[in-house]
Amino acid sequence: MAKVILTVDDSASIRQMVHFTLSDAGYTVIEAVDGKDALAKLTGPVNLVITDLNMPNLDGIGLIRSLRANPACKGLPIIMLTTESQESRKQEGKTAGATGWIVKPFTKQQMLAVVKRIIG
Amino acid sequence: MIDRFRQGFQEEARELLRDLEAALLELDQKRDDPEVVGRAFRALHTIKGSGAMFGFDNIAAFAHHLEAVFDQLRKGRLAATADLINLALAAGDQIKTMLDAAAGVAAADEERAARILLELRRVTGSSVTRPDTAPVPQAEAPAAKTGLSTEWLVRFRPGPDVILNGTNPLLLLNELRELGPLQVQIDTTGIPPLGELDPERCYVGWDMVLTTAAGREAIRDVFIFIEDDCELRIEPAAGDGRQTPAPVTTAVTRNSGSIRGNHASAGASSIRVSAEKLDQLVNLVGELVTVQARLSELSARRDDPDILAVSEEIDRLTAELRENSMSIRMLPLRDTFERFRRLVHDLGIELHKEASLAVEGADTELDKTVIDQLNDPLVHLIRNSMDHGVEAPDTRRAAGKNPTATIRLSALHSGAQVLIRVSDDGRGLDVQAVRARAIEQGLIDASAQLSESELFSLILAPGFSTAREVTGVSGRGVGMDVVRRSVEALHGVIEISSRPGAGLTVTLRLPLTLAIIDGLLVRVGHAYFILPLASSLECVELTQQDIQNAHGNHLATVRGETIPYIRLSECFAMETPPPEREQIMVVDTGEGHCGLVVDEVLGNHQTVIKNLGRLYRDVPMVSGATILGNGTVALILDPHRLVQNVVHAASQNTRSDSRKSRRNLTIPNQPSAQTDAFQQKDNRTNVT
Repeated sequence: MAKVILTVDDSASIRQMVHFTLSDAGYTVIEAVDGKDALAKLTGPVNLVITDLNMPNLDGIGLIRSLRANPACKGLPIIMLTTESQESRKQEGKTAGATGWIVKPFTKQQMLAVVKRIIG
Repeated sequence: MIDRFRQGFQEEARELLRDLEAALLELDQKRDDPEVVGRAFRALHTIKGSGAMFGFDNIAAFAHHLEAVFDQLRKGRLAATADLINLALAAGDQIKTMLDAAAGVAAADEERAARILLELRRVTGSSVTRPDTAPVPQAEAPAAKTGLSTEWLVRFRPGPDVILNGTNPLLLLNELRELGPLQVQIDTTGIPPLGELDPERCYVGWDMVLTTAAGREAIRDVFIFIEDDCELRIEPAAGDGRQTPAPVTTAVTRNSGSIRGNHASAGASSIRVSAEKLDQLVNLVGELVTVQARLSELSARRDDPDILAVSEEIDRLTAELRENSMSIRMLPLRDTFERFRRLVHDLGIELHKEASLAVEGADTELDKTVIDQLNDPLVHLIRNSMDHGVEAPDTRRAAGKNPTATIRLSALHSGAQVLIRVSDDGRGLDVQAVRARAIEQGLIDASAQLSESELFSLILAPGFSTAREVTGVSGRGVGMDVVRRSVEALHGVIEISSRPGAGLTVTLRLPLTLAIIDGLLVRVGHAYFILPLASSLECVELTQQDIQNAHGNHLATVRGETIPYIRLSECFAMETPPPEREQIMVVDTGEGHCGLVVDEVLGNHQTVIKNLGRLYRDVPMVSGATILGNGTVALILDPHRLVQNVVHAASQNTRSDSRKSRRNLTIPNQPSAQTDAFQQKDNRTNVT
């Protein structure tokens, strides 16, 4: 059974890139356009959430917080996408309970390495 | 593959720029609205982030500066000034040119970019935009392999909560193993008595010996996500003494690539397709519809039930296919409409006028081809309104109006047509000035008697302008003529109404689509016509009773309502004797109901619209032609213009020859009498 990854990003091109890279590596990918959408799409089993931080409606930090507050998502790995200039946001995300992060811009290999480190 | 992503980014970035522009214009109205600032910031942030991802480094760097400014705005450290907003708008345009340059369309003006950044620094008056923070690719590759393997002692004690945060420590050990041979010893001394054990916490640690050519940093990098959350020691093993922990078999099993295989991916909600492909699809569907019509014709003639069944099945499928492929091309007008906010804003600055754009019915959908060709006419109309219609703020105040004028853009469906209105609350058209000017330019005779709407339509004539002077925006007299021509190219009609001092409204009446419509096939004599099904209401018989009751007027009573009618055979001067039973097709012209008298109503017809060519450009009643199954050509009628035309011809007639037409009133079937009925009808609808 392929592992399911939920990618959350308001940028369609990033979603497309993440989707393509991960499904090519054999993962099943679900897309969500923001935190709110992500929460709505978390109905079935998901093995990993990859989320952007800056998003409308519900941002990445908010998403991580609400996931961690949900007993059903205990231990659910969450990777956040940050940029170099977002050191404080990264700390915020870590405190909120993010498992790891990927710094933009990243290559496919970098992303796959991180995903593998976290969910195998 | 990368190209596809780059293309995706191009499209996305353009969308984001539009969002940015909309947010900026809104910000101009309500300064410091945190929600709007946030939207602008996010747009820039995504352009920057995705730009760097897909190799648009210059765009990413440029957007970064702008993003930094909006970050300050967001945090309230900077106030949104008009200067800043205008500068940000210019910066948005610059990013657009950079995108064009990347797509090989135009050249990027690096100097302009530098100028904007300089100006930005001046306006923000700070070092918000440090030039050196362009994003750099992350983590350098693992330290170059020296070829020499060394042994490392790694002591790893994860914090108790790592599992709750989604980290699986075993996977980290697996990753270490990829660096080289790994010996692992588990430390279970931290495990509490069963009663105190929380199964969701991590109590164990590991001591490992890793033989690898990779350096300390590469090893540390494996633990980077939890380095604040664990105890980690990495030391080179003492050179000779093999002080390794006793080799142990661990429960760690190598999690080999079992993940491969299932490619089923949850569906993306939409895909982008080039407009060209869609056009091709619609063209093919059009051909298919034509061929299908031939098939039904043939099968009907053969009278073979098997072929008939197949033909009917194909008929149904073609209709569905057509509906589907047409709906793909339908787009809401929102994007087109929203784009004009910028135009109104810019024109306001240029002309020193205050105006805002109000948009209504932006969700109305229209064929993409129509939308594409709508841009220019709308630009002209808005310019016209801004330049001629809207008064200077002082004048408006003096007239007791709101100093900020409102330009209203609205769209709504009406039968098979979409009405697009551009209206302003400016000074309106001066009927007398239009008349005087038209006489001056020799467009009409000094003695001509024209109705108000006829006078207004004169401003659509080539070269007509009431503006006393030519401004940079309009007044050269090309505008309205261009509007008329482009709208007519879309088989549309323009209607103008105005009240002096209260503004001007221009209505563009456009067909929903230019490709295939649902039509109603009717016959008059030997000729076939198509009426758009969307404007056809019902079909009734024209009885002798009706004809007698009307006393020579072309009026029929349908469900208690008196409806004027037109005989198509008279309208097209066809000399065929009317059949014993005539049919009236009741159509909605948008200004009331009207009947069209035909010999026979044949039924539904999927109509592929073919252009009639330049020669028939000025035949207003016919909007195109189509090919029937048997190869016959049928003309597609435009009921609205057909009726308008007949009414117009009639009014000309009555004016030039009023006495005669009065006398003729009682004589049946005289053109003038017939059209008097229309005028009555016309008046009635105008009143109600």
